[in-house]
Amino acid sequence: MSGDVNRDSNRSGAFVVSEGRRKMQKAARTAGESILLLIASFVAIVVLFIFYFVAVDAVPYFQQRGFAEFFTSSNWYPAGDPGEFGALAIIYGTGMVTLGSALLAVPMGIAAAVCLSDILPFSVRQYAKPVIEMLAAIPSVAFGFFALVILAPLLQTSGGPMLMWVWWILAGPFLLLAVIVGSDLLTAGIEEPVRRKRYATMLQVLFTLLAFLVLYVVGSQLNGMQILTGTNALNVSIILSFMALPTIVSVAEDSLQSVGRELREGSYALGATRAETLVKTVLPAASSGILAAVILGIMRSLGETMVVWMASGNSSHIPDPWYNYLEAVRTLTATIAGDMGEADQVTGSARYHVLFAMGLLLLVISFISNLISERIVVRQRKILSGQ
Amino acid sequence: MNLGTRKILDRSFTALGIGSIVVMALALLIVITPIIYNGLGAVFFKGTIEHRKLLYNEFHRGDGAELEREIAEVAVYRDQAYRMLADFELELEGMDPEKAREYRMQYGPVKTALQTLLGPPPGDDSAILTRFRYGQTRWEKAEEKLHALLYESKWDYSDPDVMAKEYFVRRAESFEGTKLAPMFGFVEKNAEKMLLPRFTLYWGFLTDSSIDAHIFGGIWPEIQGTFFLAIGAMLFAFPLGVVAAIYFTEYAKDGVFTSMLRSANSTLAGVPSIVFGLFGLAFFINTLNVSESKSVLAGALTLAIMILPTIIRAAEEAILAVPKTYKEASLGLGSTKWNTIVTVILPAALPGIITGGVISLGRAAGETAPIIFTAAVSVGSAIGIADVLSSPTPALSWNIYNLASEHEAAAEIRHVQYGMVLALVSIVLLLNLSAVLLRARISKKLKG
Repeated sequence: MSGDVNRDSNRSGAFVVSEGRRKMQKAARTAGESILLLIASFVAIVVLFIFYFVAVDAVPYFQQRGFAEFFTSSNWYPAGDPGEFGALAIIYGTGMVTLGSALLAVPMGIAAAVCLSDILPFSVRQYAKPVIEMLAAIPSVAFGFFALVILAPLLQTSGGPMLMWVWWILAGPFLLLAVIVGSDLLTAGIEEPVRRKRYATMLQVLFTLLAFLVLYVVGSQLNGMQILTGTNALNVSIILSFMALPTIVSVAEDSLQSVGRELREGSYALGATRAETLVKTVLPAASSGILAAVILGIMRSLGETMVVWMASGNSSHIPDPWYNYLEAVRTLTATIAGDMGEADQVTGSARYHVLFAMGLLLLVISFISNLISERIVVRQRKILSGQ
Repeated sequence: MNLGTRKILDRSFTALGIGSIVVMALALLIVITPIIYNGLGAVFFKGTIEHRKLLYNEFHRGDGAELEREIAEVAVYRDQAYRMLADFELELEGMDPEKAREYRMQYGPVKTALQTLLGPPPGDDSAILTRFRYGQTRWEKAEEKLHALLYESKWDYSDPDVMAKEYFVRRAESFEGTKLAPMFGFVEKNAEKMLLPRFTLYWGFLTDSSIDAHIFGGIWPEIQGTFFLAIGAMLFAFPLGVVAAIYFTEYAKDGVFTSMLRSANSTLAGVPSIVFGLFGLAFFINTLNVSESKSVLAGALTLAIMILPTIIRAAEEAILAVPKTYKEASLGLGSTKWNTIVTVILPAALPGIITGGVISLGRAAGETAPIIFTAAVSVGSAIGIADVLSSPTPALSWNIYNLASEHEAAAEIRHVQYGMVLALVSIVLLLNLSAVLLRARISKKLKG
């Protein structure tokens, strides 16, 4: 409609337009804009609909059974009559794999983001970024398949030795570093060069021995460990951390990039090394953006379905002891995906509604964390732009 | 701190950063390599005569005369093996009952093992399921089955501290002195002559329908279903997304309402994928009744909602990347705002918008959780374009889960699963790669 009006106005010699036509044009423009606005607010309508329809099917469960059972009991027997719907173990399992993946992904993601933005030369960064994007593009079911068919049997047959090597390779360099720094710090106060040297050497030898002892003892403990089931919380955490990494890296890198050059240059001018500049100046300045990255990454692993469904073992009990990552767990997403097939959709049984209650819980968590991360990003942008 | 220590700290910090990038690259490599290697095994493999027989009988492909000749060739050896079985069965009849029962118990597995290797004996048409009508179609599987025929597996529980260990006993030993004993050596020696393994390039894996719940055949219905779902989602989401992006970039005024809309967009992007599945079930199927139960339409609508925020964001970025001068020039020539958008800004931003669309297409093709309750079935034939409104479809992502976790013979059909994963991953990665290449070209062009 607005197109026609435009064509007319062009023909009439552009600027001299009669009063009636100008009114028509204006009306058309407002009509067109309100259509655009309607389409743009479609997303908001969808969000409201999602909340409404998930909540509507979740409410009957809470009406029938109350809140207490859902959050305090860990007896999950939905097939029984009337059935027990304690979701505590499932919520716990969700928290466990989310925390596990965050523990793996957050340090690695921040290190990778720092490396991308400050350490690698542009020629390498050009190729490193697409690799990370590719990791994000791989469908979750392919990761789930990998976890189930390749990683789980591997953990089951040679999990102990694998854990030992991972421990040695990861912890070895860090302990060595701790020895160097620790002895340096302890001898820092001593003035005389000779005494200081002897003292430092003694400390270094002592620390090194201690470090190797710790490395060896923990390593041999891990080596002797038997993993009874390969589909466990550890397996899921590893794969989920792969999936959360790209999100964390790209958001954290953006926020590191937005830290101004003058902060870095000021730090270098004071004689700080690159590591000191990054740790003491750049990272604190970008900290809120990094926090947002971490939240988004955690949300990615919290909301993931296929990997946890395929590789978590789907056992709804709290592991014993509570921190045992080598036991099968169950998560909210996997429960929804796995149980909906058996839940009676037509008559709307309690089993059907409890799955919607879980969906609502996920929805609320994701909504709140999204709000927080958004707030953080806005605030950081304001601070960095100096307002 | 010493200067030396500070230097060491600095270097190790650098090493940590580079190490984490290396770990991510390695993770990609570790995940991708076995998928590519084993996935290609679904297409390139050593096929036995049973595979050629199956292709000829079920898909009418291959050279009939050549096959007849080969069947005659292997029959010579097969008949001998089956005759040894028959002879042994006769011998059992004549034995004293106590001993015969003992032998029978061990004979059962031998007979089944031989049949899974070579197929049923000639003249036996009792098998109903396709999988029992043929022997091993792939040579590497046949080698496993041969091992199972020759050796009996037993478990060693003697040490209570470690898990039980498997060990193997030759079956021939337990039949020492009977007429069955020479059969084991005979089959072992002549296995290749009985199955005639030959290098096969099975393109049909991509274009055939599956037979007997994916035990044999290809993945065409899944590829087609994935295609329908992803394209359908794009049809709904792409126009909506582009129009919304135009509003956000050109018309929206800064204010509470606009920031609320933007906030809704990022909320939608953060909703867990399984919740979209729940919403699709509750809204499209149970409330709107777009179809009786699962259908491609319901699935495509659900996926469309899921990829909408990504498309909006990508289109917004593409529009913002168009140089301001274009717009000013157009407005300066007396064109209206809407005209400028349609004739100047959109064409300039189109490659960027399409890049975002292609990436979202890949995402829609790879997602599983939203289609579980809305569109996907585990076993089904390819559906025509006319059925998309009312009938569900198999899809690659869902069938990967299904074959790997719920199939009754999941361990037997690893090659199909790997082939499916490879097909899905290559579709998604190819889409992403083309988007990356497109973007590189655009940024060159915009730079001038």
